[in-house]
Amino acid sequence: MKFLSYMILVLLLVPLQTTLLPHLSVWGIKPDMGLVAAAIVGLLAGELEGLLVGLAIGWVLSLFSAGELWLSLLMNGGVGLLAGFLGRHVSQVTAISLGLGLILVSLASGLFAAMTFKSLNTSQLWWMVESVVFPQACFDGVVGAALYWLLSLRFDLRRLRTE
Amino acid sequence: MAHSSSPYGARRIALACFALLLVALFLFPAQIQGLLQYLGGPVGYVVRVPLEAIASIDAGIAERWEQYVALQGVREENQQLRKEIEWLRGQHSQLRESAAATERLTALLHFKEQAIPAMVAAQVIGRDTTNRYRAIILNKGESDGIKPDMGVVTPAGVVGRVVKTTGASSVVLLVTDPNNAIAGLIQRTRDEGIVEGTQQGLARLKYIPLLSTLRDGDRVVTSGLVGDFPRGLVIGTITRIDKEEGALFQSAELMPEVDMSRVEEVLVIQTSYGQSLKAGAGSNLLEKPAP
Repeated sequence: MKFLSYMILVLLLVPLQTTLLPHLSVWGIKPDMGLVAAAIVGLLAGELEGLLVGLAIGWVLSLFSAGELWLSLLMNGGVGLLAGFLGRHVSQVTAISLGLGLILVSLASGLFAAMTFKSLNTSQLWWMVESVVFPQACFDGVVGAALYWLLSLRFDLRRLRTE
Repeated sequence: MAHSSSPYGARRIALACFALLLVALFLFPAQIQGLLQYLGGPVGYVVRVPLEAIASIDAGIAERWEQYVALQGVREENQQLRKEIEWLRGQHSQLRESAAATERLTALLHFKEQAIPAMVAAQVIGRDTTNRYRAIILNKGESDGIKPDMGVVTPAGVVGRVVKTTGASSVVLLVTDPNNAIAGLIQRTRDEGIVEGTQQGLARLKYIPLLSTLRDGDRVVTSGLVGDFPRGLVIGTITRIDKEEGALFQSAELMPEVDMSRVEEVLVIQTSYGQSLKAGAGSNLLEKPAP
């Protein structure tokens, strides 16, 4: 049952990210729902499930992107794993703390991705950081926090995390 | 401790899996990526179902919007289009004359006819999953004969080139993406250069000779020398020329001919003019040996 729900999540993330979210983009920037989903799964289900679901999300989303496969794979898998560790060591996770964590992770992954671009000089790199990486990190943080808050209204997330 | 039931076992397995993946990607990057890309082929068929369903709903809503809500300004647009049709009719008759003259001259000079490239039509069903690349997703893939590096166009001009395929979809890197490069030619001056995307969503023609007499409004077309584009497809119009002192080349900013945010249907060039010409030239040589 859990496997099926993860599969549906991964399959639905593709049309959400490629078809629906471009309509909701702000200044051409859309949130990375793969990153948000991997973080929430890691937080709620632990590091192993976070890693595996993150890897699956990264792999499937990279099939529909011009970007490098390994980058998407490692970033989403790494975020799932990291969220799993945090979920184990932080007793009280709030929507705000998750949002802040997502901003930091998204910033780090965006910076890393920008630095893998071969043809960027310093001014182009800075342009990319201020017009793509930073706004996206903020967007990811806000969307992740909102989603976690909505989930916490509907489910007892503390109980889910200890199951 | 939050996850009390599986404290260390799962953590060790997760860490081991991640470490293994890192090592594998570090040691065999091409092989691992090739394997994952190969495995992604069948996944494309599965993902295609929800993707096409949502894309068709999205297109339906957009069409309704166009039909009923966004009718403001249609009258003015209609008048403008009528004027444009009149102008194009004039152009058309002139071009027919030129075409007839070209045909006569071609026959006189025994030039080989330009083969029409084989194309496959595809629909745009989405955009790149990340914000870092300007790419579109098509509803046709490997099973339809689409392969990486094939050129993608619309009747208006060049859109981009295929960079990735699954069984049922493909990813097209747009001409406005900085990672894309297409061989271009200024139509009026015949000077060649390389067209690259800019971060602002436009394109730039680089490596133009310093002595070139290019000017604003000049059209840039594909040169057909490199890649899978036939010669003469419109890429864009020059809007600004940059000539730095001491530089070996000049460059120019282009306004792409195709509005990339509104592309809905495209044509994928399966056999380029270059390939067909080479094949044709080969057979021609066999048939008629040089005197």
